[in-house]
Amino acid sequence: MGLLKQLLYFSVHPNQLRSVIQWKVWHDPVHQRNPAKESATLKECFHYLNLTSRSFSSVIQELNPELLVPVALFYLILRGLDTIEDDMTISLKKKEPLLRNFQHILEQPGWTFTENGPNEKDRDLLVHFDCVITEFMLLKKEYRVIIADITEKMGNGMADYANNAEFNEVGVDTIKDYELYCHYVAGLVGEGLTKLFVEGQLANPALMKRPELYEAMGQFLQKTNIIRDIKEDLDDGRRFWPKEIWSKHVDKFEDLFVPQNLEKALNCSSEMVLNSLRHGEECLFYMAGIKDQSVFNFVAIPQSMAIATLELVFQNPAVFKRNIKITKGDACQLMMESSQNLRTVCEIFKRYTRRIHAKNNPKDPNFLQISIACGKIEQFIESIYPSQDPKALHLLHKSADSATVAESEKNKLSQKESATDTLYLLLAVVGTLLVISGLMIGAAYLAGANFDLAFTELRKGNFIPKGTYSTIPQQDHGEL
Amino acid sequence: MTPNPAKRDLGNVLVIGGCGFLGHHIVNLLLSYKCKVSVLDVRTTRNRRPDSDGVSYYDGDITCLSSLIPIFEKIKPAVVIHTASPTLAGGSRELYKKVNVDGTQCVIEASQKTNVKALVYTSSASVISDTVADLVNADERWPVIPPAAQTEYYSQTKAEAEAFVISANRSSSKLLTCALRPAGIFGEGDVQMIPQMMKVYKDGKNNFQLGDNTNLFDFTYVQNVAHAHCLASFALLQTHAISTPVLDHEKIDGEVFFITNCEPVYFWDFARAVWRCQGNEKGTEGVWVISRDVGNVLGTVMDWGMWMIGKKSKLTRREVRYSCMTRYYDCSKAKRRLGYEPIVSLPEGIRRAVKWFEDEQAKEGEKKGQ
Repeated sequence: MGLLKQLLYFSVHPNQLRSVIQWKVWHDPVHQRNPAKESATLKECFHYLNLTSRSFSSVIQELNPELLVPVALFYLILRGLDTIEDDMTISLKKKEPLLRNFQHILEQPGWTFTENGPNEKDRDLLVHFDCVITEFMLLKKEYRVIIADITEKMGNGMADYANNAEFNEVGVDTIKDYELYCHYVAGLVGEGLTKLFVEGQLANPALMKRPELYEAMGQFLQKTNIIRDIKEDLDDGRRFWPKEIWSKHVDKFEDLFVPQNLEKALNCSSEMVLNSLRHGEECLFYMAGIKDQSVFNFVAIPQSMAIATLELVFQNPAVFKRNIKITKGDACQLMMESSQNLRTVCEIFKRYTRRIHAKNNPKDPNFLQISIACGKIEQFIESIYPSQDPKALHLLHKSADSATVAESEKNKLSQKESATDTLYLLLAVVGTLLVISGLMIGAAYLAGANFDLAFTELRKGNFIPKGTYSTIPQQDHGEL
Repeated sequence: MTPNPAKRDLGNVLVIGGCGFLGHHIVNLLLSYKCKVSVLDVRTTRNRRPDSDGVSYYDGDITCLSSLIPIFEKIKPAVVIHTASPTLAGGSRELYKKVNVDGTQCVIEASQKTNVKALVYTSSASVISDTVADLVNADERWPVIPPAAQTEYYSQTKAEAEAFVISANRSSSKLLTCALRPAGIFGEGDVQMIPQMMKVYKDGKNNFQLGDNTNLFDFTYVQNVAHAHCLASFALLQTHAISTPVLDHEKIDGEVFFITNCEPVYFWDFARAVWRCQGNEKGTEGVWVISRDVGNVLGTVMDWGMWMIGKKSKLTRREVRYSCMTRYYDCSKAKRRLGYEPIVSLPEGIRRAVKWFEDEQAKEGEKKGQ
């Protein structure tokens, strides 16, 4: 975006600007790397980290010093592997042994690779890969073993896919294949990172016994990116949405992009979103196992971005037209909220889950399933941060109970009291009336009132005295 | 998953209310277990299994102890599943008290006198709901609403009966008891939830939404509830067979368990899924959203207005409350101790229930046509 465009955008979206400013001004990194104390090769490594990663480089550089270098190198090594796998100008014959033996390359000082195509965006990293190897050799043995192990597994997985003609021509077939692919490119990263965290004593070792949790972390990120990038991938000639899902909605993969098929395409993307959303609970559960603040931020920020991205792509026709991204302001807001604690991250998840639910359409074949998946995330959050306290409810009922008993007795008493009071009051009023009436009638009688006449007239129905009885003389006294 | 039920021996099982909505599903499921099933009900003409299934049916009134005893003595049940109760809507206060409280006491006494080993009582998840306050992921630690605060008399009687059942555990005989609290049962033969929702669509009144629909609600498919009853019966029998005391965190006798589909959904989403099954093609466009407060005012006006002209209001304050309330439970205790897992998912349950009602209506239509 040009500066002018940005200014215009922010002038009508002040909230977004506010988030960006808040992040820039108030964000206080838990740790900061100190380039002054770093060797020349390490500085070079960080230079390539900044070049190759937009989203991860800043969170990596704020990591706890214990893991700063291992995680940065782990990232660069996998990025190097990815750059070989991605490059279609390298022949399969050349590619396969490189991928399968990359873990050994890590132990060859001075190894570089210059055969990437000129358009490969991260080719510089491989041209200067010797600096990564130099630094890798300086790592603690425990960290080296973990990184080499994941590199081997991922390299072999990538080689299998490179060899798989069907995958390259028609894309992913079943959901199982899709998840296996996500395992190789993301689940393994989750495994490696978790092992590094636990080795560095920055995460609960129990996480090692729950492989499904770190797998979910990777799956959630990767699947969400695959949903978002469908158009970009199609333009690059790649298809990651599994046929098992899209074939339920359209006959040919390309049909997803035909405007007339929009409803079917959205139903298909909903099913993809549902498939990803189901990892939500396990991701939150995983994050509960992180002990270090910088590691927490490192894992939580991408997860929050992913749930927000999932909400963005859900029921959004734009995914089939162009690459969409969450706004910069939202990203800053999410980074701010996710670099606090699990509770704030849970709030993010709940907020976006409810937005997904609000967009959920009963016409969608997966309508109820999506509702259930949203409900499960909400229920899980409630299970770790309950909003109701049974003990408090017990007390409430007890006090209400005793209060009602006491109150009702009081009420009965006061009701009784007020009833007698009313009786006395009535008696007094009636008594006063009787006395006064008696006095007046008596006085009138004494004064000579003819009550008998009045009664006879009343009996005749003459309630209003007639003129004849008028005490006022009617005659004209004019003559006098 | 759950071990093969055919290998689970339940001996003689008596299902009280076995011709009712939940009861007949329990009977159906029990047929896959190794057991002899008998049914006691006020009316044994409806929901009957074919004779070939070997279920014995007894007409009987649970509020009359002297009539219960001979039946119990004849059947000699090892397990009694007591699921008889008037429905939430339509019963009078007297009936609720008579059947739920007095009836349950009779069943307990009859069980104790005839050496029954296990009594499983169908309570209700509503015993912890005052019909106003939200219940968010509630579990068995939540307090039962005391009578003074309970506005739904049905729930009060269920709570009283449940308390009698639980206190009868290991009291004067070797009888072991437990109570299940299912939440929002629906399914084939349901007389409340599904027919009401289906009627709303048939009457074309599905374009209203009370509340903002962010309230999660538990709806439980009837076969899952039936499954839980079978599991509880078997578990109590197992406890009965061992002489060593059970650890507190594994105890089943004398305990209550919430039973749900473990799939809470937003209240109106459930209704919309039902309407979708009925063939509704519309989305949420054109749906009128009436907020909780406006709904309450409307409900009040309708309640009084209709009362004055001597009719029953279609929009009552009670309905407004229920459709705006968050009410879902955590049934992990049942999962841990009974090995409970829903056997039928929510979408599948809805599909089956709606299909059943449509088939029934078609059958009725045919009868009328003839």
